[in-house]
Amino acid sequence: MIGRWRVRAIGLVLFVVTLATALAAQEDVGIARDETVYMGAGDGYARWWLDVAHGKRGATSEKGITAAWGGPGPTDHNREHPPFMKTLFGLSHKLLHDGLGVSRVTAYRAPSALMHAILILIVFAWVAAAWGVAEAVIAALLTLCLPRALFHAGLACFDGPIATLWVATLYCYWRSLARWSWAIVAGVVWGLALATKHNALLLPFAIAPHFAWVVARQAYATTAPGAARGLRALGWGLVRRWYVPGALIALGPLTLIAVWPWLWFDTVPHVRAWLQFHLHHVHYNFEYLGDNWNHPPFPWHVAIVTTLLTVPAGTLAAAAIGVLARARGWWRSRGELADGAALLLGLSLAASMGPFLLGSTPIFGAEKHWEAAIPTVCIAAGLGAVWAARAAAAALGELWAGARHRLAPTLATVAVGGALIAGAAAETAHAHPYALSSYNGLAGGAPGGADLGMNRQFWGYAARGALPFLRTQAPLAGAPPRPVYTHDATPAWGAYARDRLLAPGLPDAGHEDAGVARSQLAIVIHERHFRRHDFMIWQSYGTVQPVFVLRFDGVPIVSVYRRPAPR
Amino acid sequence: MRRPVPSLTSRLARLAPALALVAIAAWGTCRAVGAGAGVPGDRAWAAVSQRLRAELRPGELIVVAPAWNEPTAYLHVGDLVAVDAAGRLDAARYPAIWELSIRGARAPETRGLRADRSFAIGGVTARRYPQAARTVVTDFAPQIATAAVGGARAGGPTYVLAEIGFAPHRCAQVTPAPDGEVTLTFADVALGAELAVGAGLADVFTRRDVRAPGELAVAIDGFEVARWRFGVDDGWVRRTIVTRPGRGTVTFTARAVGLKATGRLICFAAEARS
Repeated sequence: MIGRWRVRAIGLVLFVVTLATALAAQEDVGIARDETVYMGAGDGYARWWLDVAHGKRGATSEKGITAAWGGPGPTDHNREHPPFMKTLFGLSHKLLHDGLGVSRVTAYRAPSALMHAILILIVFAWVAAAWGVAEAVIAALLTLCLPRALFHAGLACFDGPIATLWVATLYCYWRSLARWSWAIVAGVVWGLALATKHNALLLPFAIAPHFAWVVARQAYATTAPGAARGLRALGWGLVRRWYVPGALIALGPLTLIAVWPWLWFDTVPHVRAWLQFHLHHVHYNFEYLGDNWNHPPFPWHVAIVTTLLTVPAGTLAAAAIGVLARARGWWRSRGELADGAALLLGLSLAASMGPFLLGSTPIFGAEKHWEAAIPTVCIAAGLGAVWAARAAAAALGELWAGARHRLAPTLATVAVGGALIAGAAAETAHAHPYALSSYNGLAGGAPGGADLGMNRQFWGYAARGALPFLRTQAPLAGAPPRPVYTHDATPAWGAYARDRLLAPGLPDAGHEDAGVARSQLAIVIHERHFRRHDFMIWQSYGTVQPVFVLRFDGVPIVSVYRRPAPR
Repeated sequence: MRRPVPSLTSRLARLAPALALVAIAAWGTCRAVGAGAGVPGDRAWAAVSQRLRAELRPGELIVVAPAWNEPTAYLHVGDLVAVDAAGRLDAARYPAIWELSIRGARAPETRGLRADRSFAIGGVTARRYPQAARTVVTDFAPQIATAAVGGARAGGPTYVLAEIGFAPHRCAQVTPAPDGEVTLTFADVALGAELAVGAGLADVFTRRDVRAPGELAVAIDGFEVARWRFGVDDGWVRRTIVTRPGRGTVTFTARAVGLKATGRLICFAAEARS
């Protein structure tokens, strides 16, 4: 048995290691297209809160709020996305960059890294409380060693943070079943999740059935036999635990409104506009199993197959064993689940991935949309690893007297868990900083993913890898600039120049055909639907030959073209 | 009551999950981390380029398999691939096709052909597939400026390198008015034994936003000889029409099918071949 303080110390170590890893890793990652928008919006939101704190007159008026948070257009001040993380990005920039001199991009991204550290801590705490410390350490480290999740953890975007707040809401709710005060925390955390990304609206689909099952089951024994006993038990259970749904229903929306001044007036129309934007979201292009998809019906299996091809194979195998072991335990105990945590995590996975089985939900960012489901996989993997290790230790002890040592189960757990974690860590390190192009061993790595016709990348962040080559193409001092056609990297171009990652004299050439015509150099970030940019460049430059191709494991991710000198 | 002693098989079976996990973790990691070793690098491609330049004859086509490796291949041999060849109607006019392949992939252009030469360097396999080249007597799309154009149109016709089905195609591009037709007539042109036509809908974003199909009809000397529809997912659709060698007037009629077919970019290329 490990003492309480030792468990806390392990949690603290995991938190610090994750924070340091996420912060260090993001230094090498190019700027994703959406980040630039969120950074800009976050600056405005942070400025507004600071103005309010300093008592600036008119800031909280409808006009003052609109000037910082909204506007007539559906995307004015990025009002189509709730503001919690953006606000943190802006405040972090003010504190870490303006105040402490941390690099600009790192300062914006630091809140996401912090959120990821919180996620790892919660996974650890939850599994330790529900199952055991060994399971918790393995589950937490496997969650950290996910190539794509770690990538998202280092971006000033919402996909990493919503996974954290999703799991945090579930954890707080789970704790609230034993202690009422956690219900208040759960409500506030759900509100923050709502204020981060609309995925949080799906959380009730995980919580409600779990809550109904738990309270009905607990009240069943004390409910008099008779007609509709289950329903009556549910009713009694609800009465006894009214504070759980009460806190979520009351504090969730209140927290959302509290951190989103745009909802402080015309609340219903503004909420409606927010939700309608996402209900009618444009379908972007993504490649899946050899086809480009941009219109429903989408294949129902995208979320499942993409997960199977992007989570390390060892983690998936351990998760499968974990699920089987839990199912076996459930079967042997005639349906008894001591804690309900496994059920809740299973419902979490279903609620997170469920919309993508419908075939109509936009799926342009692949795994990031259901990232909240992946901790469930890692937790199952932690359980599976420990179960397999203990079974092996017991079997070895029966086979060989020398293996009947009290430390045998621990050593077996270290061996199995260590192998899984080492493998996943190696994959994660290898995928860096092009994790969106990485695929697991089942796919055959990045080239296997390309052979299968899986999405190569998105958001244009890989353009950063071409900047060192572009530096060699920069004009000499005093020579005319050499405009670059940058297509998907256009939003990040100014930031690269400002951070001196881009050599002087390489301005953005502009958009589409006019931009190509104006350019002397051109980059193409390889995605299937971006082939059109290659063709525009071929036509204008009169050649199909790039002068540089950035590759990840041999798979082209960015090409650079140079306009041939006139003959 | 004494517990039954587990059999040897049962004990070994209990070892299996742990061993399997360690093995799968090692296998998965090696396969993912080591995957790049299975993709030829610049050194191999530079050697292939050198050898290919010695063996390639004028007019021969180079294709790359799998298509995702095209940028790497073009980095080394792209100067041997003309833009027109990359945007070809099909491969029929070329006397030989050089297929540069990695990872055992095959290019669709070489399907059914037999290689007469090949070499392999560092994981890149180059195979030469000879074929009976068709002689093009009239290439219609580049002559679009000489065609008589009729019908209501929102754009074109222009001669462009368009993205159709995520592949490049040199073609005549025209945008008929919704549910309208545009005719392009080439008078008194040379015809061969066949007329090869490729057509499709250009631009991935218009294909996403406008789901209505396009249609192309071909008439020779006033008689319609072919008509077909192509949808947003059909890519580049080819048809071959048997023709009588000589001279004739060929009319292509592009139609944007339905009143919702706004901005429908219909592209086609056609070659009269002997």
